[in-house]
Amino acid sequence: MKKTFLHGIISGLLASAAGIIYFNIYQNTLGTEFNKIVNIRSIAGVSIIACMLIALSYWVLEKFNKDKWKGILNVLIALLSFASIISPISMSLPFDIKNPELFPGLVIPMHFFPALAFFTLVPFFKDKK
Amino acid sequence: MKKIFFPLAIAATILFSAFTVYTATTWKIAEGYSIKFTSDDPAGVFSSFKGDIAFDANDLGGSKFDVTIDVNSINMGNGMKNSKAKNENWFNAAKYPSIKFTSSKITKTATGYEAVGTLDMKGVQKPLTIPFTFANNTFTGSFSINRIDYGVGTDKGMDSHASSILKVDVSVPVTKG
Repeated sequence: MKKTFLHGIISGLLASAAGIIYFNIYQNTLGTEFNKIVNIRSIAGVSIIACMLIALSYWVLEKFNKDKWKGILNVLIALLSFASIISPISMSLPFDIKNPELFPGLVIPMHFFPALAFFTLVPFFKDKK
Repeated sequence: MKKIFFPLAIAATILFSAFTVYTATTWKIAEGYSIKFTSDDPAGVFSSFKGDIAFDANDLGGSKFDVTIDVNSINMGNGMKNSKAKNENWFNAAKYPSIKFTSSKITKTATGYEAVGTLDMKGVQKPLTIPFTFANNTFTGSFSINRIDYGVGTDKGMDSHASSILKVDVSVPVTKG
């Protein structure tokens, strides 16, 4: 439980850091102002929640000795990350925000950061046999 | 007496003639204007608007609106919707980059005023009456248009998902020009 919790929280922090760095580079390079919709707090919050949910799913599988299902869970996480990009593509921003066409480019990569961070850290939290 | 009569007559003629060339107060469009259109779907704003406004409540005959909206400034909050709105089937912004309203008559009504004129959109010119009020140096008006009348999209296929009737709300703060 402790290991899975640590895995979740550390990957959440990693995804947050990646998201915040990308957010700052994107906004400064393209001169966009999407702070009303996305900001450092929301990036950190969503990244940590997403990674903790993944960790919780892993813990449930371990609890019920369904380790073999982890592959299916990974596929499901990847599919959910991919499906979630529909939301920024289709959403309408407030009309006072300029260049809404640049919004998907900011947030779509971030949708993959939690899964990427969690899967990257899997070898560090693997049970030693 | 004769010597002074003609100079006085000339001065009086010039003085009274001045009233015939009196024009309504001209106004400059100030920052903070809003051109908003709403319906079930779509909804959005045009963020660029310019033109000449001459308005005097005491001289409606000399008052006139000649204003232009930049079609490329459309913002519906979504990049793909904005691109679609500018394409050939909708506003065709490349060929018709502006929407123009020119008033021909302004009259007083029970609630404010009415500007009767012509709306030129996507090359189609149609008469349009815009009811408006003028208070605190701000013109506020609201009217509806049918986009199909102007060839902006169609009512067939995917286009039919977009409402034909759009409510337009205009708020234009002005300063004396």
